[in-house]
Amino acid sequence: MKFSGIWKKKKDHFQNIQLNESLDTLPKIPLHPELNQNIEVLKSAYKDCSDVVFREFSIGSSINAVLLYIDGLSNTEEVDQHVLKPLIQMKNHEHGAIFEKTKKEISVSDIKDIYSINDIFKQISIGNSIILIEKETKGISIGLPKWEKRSIMEPDAESVIRGPREGFIETLRVNTSLLRRKIRHPLLRMKQMDIGRYTETQVIVAYIEGIANSTLVDEVTSRLKRIKIDGILESGYIEEMIVDHPFSPFSQVLTTERPDVASACLLEGRVVILIDGTPITLIAPCTFASLMQAPEDYYNQFYISTLIRWLRYIFFFIALLAPSAYVAILTFHQEMLPTTLLLTIAQSREQIPFPALIEAFIMEITFEALREAGVRLPKQVGAAVSIVGALVIGQAATAAGLVSSPMVMVVAITGVASFLMPRYATGISIRILRFPIMIFSGMLGLLGVMIGITAIVAHMCTLKSFGVPYFNSTAPLKIQNLKDVLIRAPWWAMDTRPEFSSKDTSNLRRQSSNLKPGPSKGGGES
Amino acid sequence: MIEKGRISYLELALIMYATVVATAILYIPYVTSQHAKRDLWLSPIWGSLSGFLIVMIIVKLSKLYPGKTLIEYGELILGRTLGKIISFIYLFFLLHDTAIAFREYGEFIESAFLHKTPIIFVTGSIALSCAIAVHGGIETIGRCATIFLPIVLALYILIYVFLIPDLNVKNIFPIMQDGIMPSIKGSIAPHAWLSQFSLMSFLIPLLTNQQKVMKWGMFSVIASVLTMVFINLGNLFLFGGIISNLYFPVFEAARFISVGSFFEHIESIVIAFWVLGGFVQLSSFFYMLILGTSQWLTLPSYKQFVLPIGFLIIIFSVWSTPSFEEMIRGMGTTMPFYFLTVQLLIPVLLLGVAVIRRKRSKSFLP
Repeated sequence: MKFSGIWKKKKDHFQNIQLNESLDTLPKIPLHPELNQNIEVLKSAYKDCSDVVFREFSIGSSINAVLLYIDGLSNTEEVDQHVLKPLIQMKNHEHGAIFEKTKKEISVSDIKDIYSINDIFKQISIGNSIILIEKETKGISIGLPKWEKRSIMEPDAESVIRGPREGFIETLRVNTSLLRRKIRHPLLRMKQMDIGRYTETQVIVAYIEGIANSTLVDEVTSRLKRIKIDGILESGYIEEMIVDHPFSPFSQVLTTERPDVASACLLEGRVVILIDGTPITLIAPCTFASLMQAPEDYYNQFYISTLIRWLRYIFFFIALLAPSAYVAILTFHQEMLPTTLLLTIAQSREQIPFPALIEAFIMEITFEALREAGVRLPKQVGAAVSIVGALVIGQAATAAGLVSSPMVMVVAITGVASFLMPRYATGISIRILRFPIMIFSGMLGLLGVMIGITAIVAHMCTLKSFGVPYFNSTAPLKIQNLKDVLIRAPWWAMDTRPEFSSKDTSNLRRQSSNLKPGPSKGGGES
Repeated sequence: MIEKGRISYLELALIMYATVVATAILYIPYVTSQHAKRDLWLSPIWGSLSGFLIVMIIVKLSKLYPGKTLIEYGELILGRTLGKIISFIYLFFLLHDTAIAFREYGEFIESAFLHKTPIIFVTGSIALSCAIAVHGGIETIGRCATIFLPIVLALYILIYVFLIPDLNVKNIFPIMQDGIMPSIKGSIAPHAWLSQFSLMSFLIPLLTNQQKVMKWGMFSVIASVLTMVFINLGNLFLFGGIISNLYFPVFEAARFISVGSFFEHIESIVIAFWVLGGFVQLSSFFYMLILGTSQWLTLPSYKQFVLPIGFLIIIFSVWSTPSFEEMIRGMGTTMPFYFLTVQLLIPVLLLGVAVIRRKRSKSFLP
C-alpha cells in the first residue's frame, strides 16, 4: 500500500534522526490509524526510558487504547479515577463516534486534541497523560500534571522588613500565577516559547500591552528566538545571550526573585522573562538607577527611602574606591591627612614590610576568598571559617605585622559597603572593578583613581540595555524622570512612568495628577 | 553620516563649555594678569567678542549647509582641491590644538603632584581612558559631560565658597588704572580659548534638533566667559597683586582652603575632580579630530582611527612645545594669533565665499 510506504519512509527517517535535533525542527509525523504502529514509534523513541509508562487497555472492553504518561509527572490517582475507570466501564461503543464519546467520558477540564507524534512528545514532557485509540488519527492529552515542588517562601537573597513575603519558585506555572494574582488586567500578556534542544525549557515573556514599548517586546522576543542551545538550566544562560554588550562587567538585565518587584517593573513598562526551573526572573531594560533601587524603597516612607538611596550611592563609591583611595593617599598625598591621623597610621605601618598597594591587595584578596568560602560552606563548618576569618584578618595578621590595622578597617568598610547594594549583580561589578582601580591608584595616586572612574563612567555611558541608555534620565538628562533616581518621590508625585515605556506619550501618566492628600481633599465630597 | 549618535542642546553646550573652560581656568589667570594686572577679570569679557563672532559665523555656515561639518562644506564652498587643502590646514591645526590641550593637562599634573612621572605616562593614561569615550561616539561624550560637568562646576564654586573668609574684595581696586588697554592686551589669551568655539561646527550636525542652536551656542559662550571672570575675580580677591607671579592660581587657592583645621590641603582632591572636566575636554577634542579626519578622507567609520590618532596626539603633545615655560610664553604671545588665524579666518573666508557664490548663482537666475 502506498500510504504505508510513505509511513515507513517517515519512520525510517525518524529513526535516522535519532531525535538528534530540536523537536521543533523535527518533521511532523502524523498519528497513524493503526494503534500498534503508533505505539511502536513511541516505544522506539522512548527506548530505555524506564519512566515512560504505556498502559494498554480497552475502552468498554472492545476498543483498544493506550494510556501514556511519564511516571512521577502525572497525577496517576486522578487519571485512574477520572479517566481510566470511566473509559473501561463505558458501555455503548460504536466505531466512528468513539473519539467524541471518549472525550465526553473524561471528567477533566484541561483536555486537548493532538494530531502528531511531535505533539505527544511536547505534552507528555510537561506531565500530561496521552490517550491513543485504535483507528483514530487523533489522540487526547489530559492535563493532570503533578510533581514535587517547593512551597512559596520568602527569598533569602531579597528579604524585606516591610513588604510581601512570597517569592518565585522553580515551577513556571506557579510563578505566572503569582504575577497574575497581582496584575489582574487581561492586558498582562504572557508569550510562551520553548528554548533548549534537549531541555525544551519553557520561557515566558510577560509584559503589559500598552505600557511596555512594543518594539522592546519584539526585540526581547527576537533575541530569545535567536538562542539555539542544548539546554537552559538557569536564567543566567539566557542573560548572557541577550545582553547588548557581552563583555561589560555591569549587569544589563535586572534579576529578581520577588513577584512584587516583577510586577512593579511590568507596571513601569519593562518586560519580565520567566524561566521554568529557576526562581530568578530577568527584567529588561535595566538602568544603573534601577540597580540601586530596593523593593522597600517604595513601601517605606519617602524621606527615609530617599536618604537610604543616597546612602547607597555614597557606599557604592566607597565599595569601589575605599582601598584605592587609601593606597593613593598613603603613597602620594600624605599631606591630605590631619597630622595626628597621619602619625597614627605611620606608627601602625612601621612594622609592615609591604608597600600600601601590596598590603591592600593581600587584604582584599583574602577578604574575597573568605567571602567566597562562606557562601559555599556547609552550615556546620561555616562558623569555623568565620572565626578563623575574623581572627586571621582582624587580629593575627595585624599582630604578626603583615598588615596594618587601618588597612583592616578599610577592608571591613569596603566589605560592608558592598553588602549595601540592593542587587547582588551590582556588588559583583564593584568587586571586579575594585582591583584595576587599585593598580591605577598605586601608579598615579588620586589621578589614577580619577582616570579609573572616567574610564568606567565612559564605558557605562556607552552601555545600552535593550536600547535604553544605562544612565537614562541622568545622562541623557530628563529632569522629569529624576524623581525616582536622585530621590524617591512620594507616590502621589510619581505621576509619570519612565519614558522608555511607551512611545505613546499620552499613556505616560500612571495616576491622576491631583492625588496629594490634604485636609481640603479628605472626606467624601468630590 | 559617519556618526549615528545624536546629542541634545544641553549636551552641545556642556561639551563646548568643557572644551573651552577646563584648561582655561588653569592658564588664563596667569597669562591675562601678565598684561592686565588687576584688570584681569575684564579680559575674558573682551575675549567673549571672538567667541560670539565665531559662534555666529559657524551657525550661519551650518544653516547654509545643513548636516555638514566644516571639513565637508569647505570642499563644497571652495571646490575639491582648495577645499581639501583648507580642511587639511584646519585638521592639522586641530591635531596641534589637541596635542597642546593634552600637554597643558600633562604639565599641570606634573607641576602639581607627579613631579617625577614621565609626562608621556600621564598624558598617555588619560588618552587611553578618553579613547574609550571616543570609541563610544558622541553620545558617550555628551553623557559623560552631563554627569561630570555639574560636579566640576560645583567644585569651581566650592573652592571659593570655602575661601570666603580670606577673600578681600578691595583687591579689585583700582579698576582700569592705566586705561582700558592693559585689559585688552590681556584678553588675547581668552580670545584664543574662546576661538575654539569654531569646533562647534563638528557638533551642530549631530544635534537632534537644530532650530535653537544659536541660542545655546551663545549660552555656552556666556557661561564660559562668566566662569573665567568668576575664577579671575576669585583669584584676584584672594591674592591681590601677586597673582601675576602664580602659574596656577586656582591650584594655589585650593591649597589655602582650611575648614575646621582638619579639612585642609585638599588640593589633590581638587585636581582629581578637575580631571573630570579635563577628561571631557580632551575626549571631545580627540573625538572631533577623529571625526574630521575620517570626513576628510570620506571614510565610512572613524572607530579604527581611535588608537592610531591617539598615539599621534601623544607624540605631538611632546613635540608641540619644548618646555612648560615656552608653552606659557606662547600662550601670551604667538598662540592666540595662530589660533585666531585658523579658527576665525578660515570660517570667515568660507562664509564670505559661500555668500558671494550664493548671490552670484541667484543673480543668474531669471
